[in-house]
Amino acid sequence: MSEHTTLRMEGILKEFPGVVANDHIDLSVERGEIHGLLGENGAGKSTLMKVLYGLYSQDDGDIYLDGERLDLESPQDAIDAGIGMVHQHFMLIPRLTVAENVVLGEREPATAFRSDAEGSWLPATVRNNSLVQSLAGQFSLGLDVPEQRIQDLADQYGFDIDVSAKIWELDVGQQQRVEILKALYRDVDLLILDEPTAVLTPTEAERLFDSLERLTDEGLSIIFITHKLTEVDAIVDRVTVLREGQNVGTAAVSSVSRADLAEMMVGREVLFDIDREAVDLGDPVLRARGVKATDNRDIEALSGIDLTVRQGEIVGIAGVSGNGQKELAEVMAGIRDVTAGELLVNGEDITGAKPKTFVDSGVSFVPEDRLQYGCAEDLSVMHNATMKDFRDGRFGDRPFLDYGELREYAETLVEEFDVRGVSDVTETNAGDLSGGNLQKLILAREIYRDPDLLIANQPTRGVDVGAIEFIRETLLEQRKAGTGIILLSEDLDEIFDLSDRILVVYEGEFVYETTPAEADRERIGLEMTGGDGDDETVASPPQSGVTQEGES
Amino acid sequence: MVSFIAGLLDATVQAATVLLLAGMGELISERAGVLNLGVEGMMLVGALGGFITTVLTGSHWLGFGVGILLGMVLALVHAFLCITLKSNQVISGVMLTLLGTGLTTFFGSGWVEESIDGFPQMTLPFVGQYLVDIPVIGEAFFRSTATDYLALGLLVVVWYFLYHSNLGLEMIAVGEDPEMADTMGVSVFRLRYLAVLIGGGFAGAAGAHLSLAFSQLWVPGMTAGRGWIAVALVIFAQWRPRRMLVGAYLFGLLDALRIRSQSISLTVGPDAPLAGVINPIVEFLMNPQIMGTYPYLATILVLAYAVIRTKSDQLAVPSALLQSYSRETD
Repeated sequence: MSEHTTLRMEGILKEFPGVVANDHIDLSVERGEIHGLLGENGAGKSTLMKVLYGLYSQDDGDIYLDGERLDLESPQDAIDAGIGMVHQHFMLIPRLTVAENVVLGEREPATAFRSDAEGSWLPATVRNNSLVQSLAGQFSLGLDVPEQRIQDLADQYGFDIDVSAKIWELDVGQQQRVEILKALYRDVDLLILDEPTAVLTPTEAERLFDSLERLTDEGLSIIFITHKLTEVDAIVDRVTVLREGQNVGTAAVSSVSRADLAEMMVGREVLFDIDREAVDLGDPVLRARGVKATDNRDIEALSGIDLTVRQGEIVGIAGVSGNGQKELAEVMAGIRDVTAGELLVNGEDITGAKPKTFVDSGVSFVPEDRLQYGCAEDLSVMHNATMKDFRDGRFGDRPFLDYGELREYAETLVEEFDVRGVSDVTETNAGDLSGGNLQKLILAREIYRDPDLLIANQPTRGVDVGAIEFIRETLLEQRKAGTGIILLSEDLDEIFDLSDRILVVYEGEFVYETTPAEADRERIGLEMTGGDGDDETVASPPQSGVTQEGES
Repeated sequence: MVSFIAGLLDATVQAATVLLLAGMGELISERAGVLNLGVEGMMLVGALGGFITTVLTGSHWLGFGVGILLGMVLALVHAFLCITLKSNQVISGVMLTLLGTGLTTFFGSGWVEESIDGFPQMTLPFVGQYLVDIPVIGEAFFRSTATDYLALGLLVVVWYFLYHSNLGLEMIAVGEDPEMADTMGVSVFRLRYLAVLIGGGFAGAAGAHLSLAFSQLWVPGMTAGRGWIAVALVIFAQWRPRRMLVGAYLFGLLDALRIRSQSISLTVGPDAPLAGVINPIVEFLMNPQIMGTYPYLATILVLAYAVIRTKSDQLAVPSALLQSYSRETD
C-alpha cells in the first residue's frame, strides 16, 4: 500500500440468499485519482459501492479510509466520513425543489440562525450556542443561503439548473446533474459515481469530465462505475474489473487495451464492429406532419416536426437531452397528445387516437425510463412479457386467459432474448431484473409482436457491454425484417453505427439532417447545441420565432 | 333565524375542532408514509383517559394531557407493528380502532354516570370582549373552549413545521421516498416513529376535547365515526394543512346540520307545484343518516377532481404511503 492510498477495501464479502454478490473483493483507491469500476450488470459493482456507502453491511472484510478503519452502519456514517454517492437510479423526490432535494438531511437552519450569517438580528454568541444550533437545525429551515451555494456550484461546473424548480419539471439529464450537485454540496473527499454519464450528451459528458478532473486536482478521489470502455479511456486513471462478484484485476488504463478490458469483463471476446447490411427501403410506415406537443409543464416541447420513416429504415435522432426527444417519442407512441399536426401510421391517420390504437396499428415503444414506463415492477416477467398481446386471442378465448400459453410465450421470449436472472417467469418480478436484462425483456415484448414501427428511446442506456451488443444486433435484425425504427439516443456512436439517416433535434425542431456516411461529428455537435451552421443540408430551415421555453 | 344560525355556527366550531385535531395528527403520520386507520380507537382511549383523570383530579388540563399520552401509547403499538415489524398498515390500523373501542367500552362502563367540570367557554384575553359582540359569528367563534383556540394555533404550528423546518422536510422526504431519505443520512425509522407518535397525540387530544370540552361526559363509542371522518378529511385536504382548515369547518358544518336536521324544514307546501316529487327528495337529502355520509361524498368528489385535474406526478398522496422500508431488500 502506497502512502497515497486513501481508500482500502479488504476482503469484502456480501451474500444475499442464494447469491454471493461480493466474493472477498479487494479494492484500493489513491488520493486524487479517478478509479474506474468496470463490470457487467450483476457483477457486484453496485453492491460493493452500497457497502462502501453504508447501505449494506458486509458479512466480512474491512474498509479503511486514510488509514482509519470505518464502521459504516448507515449512509450518515459514510457522509460523515466524507464519502458521497451518485446513484444509478435517481434518488430524488419529484415533488420537492432542487434545493430541497440537495439540502435534505443537512439541517440548514433559517438564515438568521446561521453561524456564518452576516447582519443577523441575533447576536453571534446566541447563534453559536450549540443548543440553539441544534434546535434551529431541527425546527427551522433556511433555503436562501443554500440556494445561492447550489447555484454557484452549478455555475462552477456548468450545470444548467434552476435551483427553485421542482424535480419533476426537469428532464432526466438535468436530474442527473442535481444528483451530482447533492454530493458536491456535501464537500466529499471520495465521490462514487454510478454511471454518471449515462444520460449526458457527449458534449455534456466532456464538460463533466473536465469538472471531475478539476475536482481530482483539488485532492478529491473518484470511483467511477461504468460500462463504457470509451469513458475508461477518456478519464479513468486506474481500473478495477469485477466479474461474478470477484475482482478480476486492477490495472493502470494506459497499460491495457480496450479489447483486454472487454474480455476481462465478459469473460470472452467481444465484437465491436457491427455488421450493417444494406436493406431496401419500403413504403413509409410513419408520416408525421407539423406535429406540435407540450411537455409536462404545458410548455411547447415540439414546435412543428415533420418526419417520415420507411420500412427497413433506422432514423437516428440526436440532441441534447431536454430538446423534445422524450415528447417526440411519446407522441409517436401515442401516449402524449399532439396539439397540432397529424400522424399517419401505414397511411392511416391516427392522430389523437388512444394508445391502444397505436399498439394495434403495429407501433412498438421502448421508453426511456424502463422501471417507470417500461414495465410493471411488481408484476411477474410473464405478465410483463404478455402485457401488450394478451388480448389478441392467442392466449385463450376471451374473457378467459390460458395461463399455460402465457407462460410458454413468456418463456420463449426469455430464452430467445437471453434474459438472465429469471428463475420462473411467474415468480420473478420485472423489478427484480438488472437493468440490462429488464431492457432485453422489454425489447423482446416490443419486437416479438413484429411491429411495423419501433420507437426506441435510449435503448442501451445503462446496460452492460454484452447487452448493448445484443440490443444493437436485435435492432438491426428488426430493420432487416422491414420494421421502421426511430432511434433516440444520447450516445452519438450508437446513432452513427445504427442509423440510415440522422436528424438533429434542437428546441423541439429538426435543425439538421445527414447520413452516417457523410456526417461531420463537429457539425452535429454544433447543431445539437444550437450553434449556427450554414444552411445547405438543413432539412427544414429553422423558422423564426423558435421557442426558447423548451429549456428552463 | 339569527339565533338558529348562531347556534349552528357554534356547533360547527365545536365539531370542527375535533376533526381538526384528529386530522392534523393523521396528516403528519401520512406525510411520513404511515397510514393510521386507528384514529377512532386512539380518540376513544384519549376521551376516556382524559375523562377519568378529570373526574379523579378535578383538573381538565391534566385530563387533556393524559388523553394525549394515551393516544400516543396506542400509536406506539401501531408504529411498532408497521415500522419495526413492517406489517400491513391497514390491518394494524383497523385492529387499533377495534382494540380502542373494546377497551374503552369495558373500562368506561363505570364512568358513564360521572360528571365533570370540563373546559369552560371563554373569550380571548384583551380583545375577546369586543370580538364576541360581532353579530352572528361573534359568539360562535370568540366564546369557545381553550381547546378550540389551541387547535387553530396548532394548525399554524403544523403548517410551519411541515414546510419550514428541517424535520418537516425530512418527514415529507421519508413519506415520498424512504430509500432516498436514507441515502441522505435521514433516519427513516426515527422520523416515522416520531410522526406516528405525534399523530397519536393529536388523536388523543381530539378525543379528550370531545369528552372534556365538547360534551363534558363519557359515553362508550362517543366518537361516533369522527375518527373515520378525520381520515377522510386528510384526503379531502389533499394532505395539505391549509386546506384542512377549510375541510374541517365544512365537515363540522355538515355535522352540525345533521344534528339539527330534524328542526329544519325545507319541504314545500303540499299545494306547491311538483310537491309530490320535491318533498320526498328533500326529505331523503335531509335524513340524518344520509347527511352523515356527506363528508365521505365530499371526499370522493375531491379525490375524483384531483385525479382528473392534476397530472399523475403531481397527485398529492405521499408516494411512499403504506410502504415499509428496510435497507437491504431492494
